[in-house]
Amino acid sequence: MNEAVLNDLAEPKNTSQAGPETEASLNIEYTNTVGQPLCDEAKIQTRDVNVFYAENQAIHNVNLDIGAHEVIALIGPSGCGKSTYLRTLNRMNDTIDICRVQGQILLDGEDIYTKKQDPVLLRARVGMVFQKPNPFPKSIYDNVAYGPRIHGLTRNKSELDDLVEESLTKAGLFQEVKDRLDAPGTGLSGGQQQRLCIARTIAVQPEVILMDEPASALDPIATAKIEELINELKQNFTIVIVTHSMQQAARVSQRTAYFHMGRLIEVGETDQIFTNPTHELTEKYITGRFG
Amino acid sequence: MNNTDLVRKSLKKRYLKERIFKTVGLLSIVSAILFLLILLTDIFTKAMPAFSQTNISLEVTLDPDVIGVGENPSEQDLMAADFRRVIRNSLADQFPGVTKRKEKRELYSLTSMGAEFQLRDMVIADPALLGQTIQVEFMADDDVDAVIKGAIDRNLPESDRRVKDQKLGWIETLEESGQISEQFNWWFFTSGDSREPEMAGIKGAIKGSLFTLLVTLALSFPVAVAAAIYLEEFAPKNRFIDFIEININNLAAVPSIVFGLLGLAVFINFFSLPRSAPLVGGIVLSLMTLPTIIIASRSAIKAVPPSLREAALGLGASKMQTVFHHVLPAALPGILTGTIIGMAQALGETAPLLMIGMVAFIVDIPQGITDPSTVLPIQVYLWADSPERGFLAKTSAAIMVLLFFLIAMNAIAIYLRKKFEKKW
Repeated sequence: MNEAVLNDLAEPKNTSQAGPETEASLNIEYTNTVGQPLCDEAKIQTRDVNVFYAENQAIHNVNLDIGAHEVIALIGPSGCGKSTYLRTLNRMNDTIDICRVQGQILLDGEDIYTKKQDPVLLRARVGMVFQKPNPFPKSIYDNVAYGPRIHGLTRNKSELDDLVEESLTKAGLFQEVKDRLDAPGTGLSGGQQQRLCIARTIAVQPEVILMDEPASALDPIATAKIEELINELKQNFTIVIVTHSMQQAARVSQRTAYFHMGRLIEVGETDQIFTNPTHELTEKYITGRFG
Repeated sequence: MNNTDLVRKSLKKRYLKERIFKTVGLLSIVSAILFLLILLTDIFTKAMPAFSQTNISLEVTLDPDVIGVGENPSEQDLMAADFRRVIRNSLADQFPGVTKRKEKRELYSLTSMGAEFQLRDMVIADPALLGQTIQVEFMADDDVDAVIKGAIDRNLPESDRRVKDQKLGWIETLEESGQISEQFNWWFFTSGDSREPEMAGIKGAIKGSLFTLLVTLALSFPVAVAAAIYLEEFAPKNRFIDFIEININNLAAVPSIVFGLLGLAVFINFFSLPRSAPLVGGIVLSLMTLPTIIIASRSAIKAVPPSLREAALGLGASKMQTVFHHVLPAALPGILTGTIIGMAQALGETAPLLMIGMVAFIVDIPQGITDPSTVLPIQVYLWADSPERGFLAKTSAAIMVLLFFLIAMNAIAIYLRKKFEKKW
């Protein structure tokens, strides 16, 4: 089955050479993705993913690989399905009753949507940072220690202390909060809160981190700090980031995937996508003609 | 005319409307406060006499022969002894010349029926008093109390007056000799109900209310919170759950007396639980408070931001952990407020308790949840229904006690809400 998919995906180059589709034709017919949606060392493989909210289809036949230790940016206009796609990767869509996911999503070659797969275990391996900073109404320490505590990752208090310090340091927050670890996490500034949420996520030591527009609620300085942090984190983690800001995608990611109306239009090296997009829709979006 | 002129023209009318609305709002608040003040002042002034008790100071000789006990009497002997005669002798000594049987009865009714028990308790506490002559402040009868406090007008013609001329004369003699005094009425807070107004206390009703509320809280709080959590967080969205939700809302609107009938039929007749007991009262009231607490808890849980749930789930917390570590603590202020409002409702509830026999006349102070007892609002009802003048003040005083508990509970609700909200 995988082979058939790969054959199918080998075609897009031809399609694009045949001439760019108009936007109108996109609404009616299935279009193959142009560029290189697949890669050799894939951490996550998604095949023929369709997502429905009740009767409405939000994602159409997405085939995309996420390589190990890469930062991949998902861009596209509002409502294009990039957040929905992101949430299928750690089954956060399970919490929405009317949401249905079809297709295969493999993490290290294992399907995460089988009955056998436990979403709790999956979310420990695939962490998530949300659009709006959402620290728990607890102390800074307890925010970071919560994940390790529920998963039983440390054996005693001093190990937990070390893990909290390490996570906060990695998130670039430790110097700012080391004297007030028992102050409430909700009392920090927006940018600090978001870094706290990142520290909380990396304390569980996941393999993949999903970021849903992590800087959209922050000012430029806080945003710059988050971006810097993403650049450091990519050494240890695979990162999938959804963003509205094309500059941000250009700054932090190696690959970029462009979504449009629930379809994956184009995937490629970030440089190539932003300097020389293949698909007409990608080009229009990049140059700011819609979105 | 340009736009500026048009807007200017309409301004006057708009401001007038605003002023009218503000005035109406202010008026309604002022009238509400006024009515509340009238009500409270009325209750307060009527209740005041109940908080003081008139005493008659008499010199009594505790002659063992008159009392009818021998040397070194046991407690049982003293319990059976006749202390009434000592008091009667003392009164007869003070007002010689009263010989007619009817007049004697009038004279002896100057002190309360409780006076002999007062004396008995004193002697049991200190048997050495036997044989001595001592000065004792005896509780006065409610008629004497009424005369002293002015509730019975001394200037009325004798035919219109409850206390006749002869008795009034005795009272005035006692007053002149300084034997009549008033003091704070501790008795009211330390004894149970009585047929005699001066001996009636509120302690039985307070304890009954307390036991009833304890049972109500212990039953309704865990059940209601568990139901609210299940319905909000775990229940599938289907018709059966919708049906349950609608019925919970309906249950909140069922007249409370229906719950009383249910309690009578099911708990007393079918399960043979004791009649008039706080246990059954508590069960019935918890049926009544359940929907209130469930509805309040559900809206509190619903108000917890979804981002908090996502944060926990995103870290790999299970659904149960998400609910108990994050959702419940965040919803707790709302849940507690709802619970205390429900409990305050239960405290003031009368009708269902009438059905299960808590309206009985009970003198003994309940010692547990299975002892027969009454509750504060029913005590108010019982006293309001009594013809004796002294019960008028007692009724208002009982209302004050009830209001005090309600205000205290609301204060606790506000305190708890503030305390748990601080964590945010």
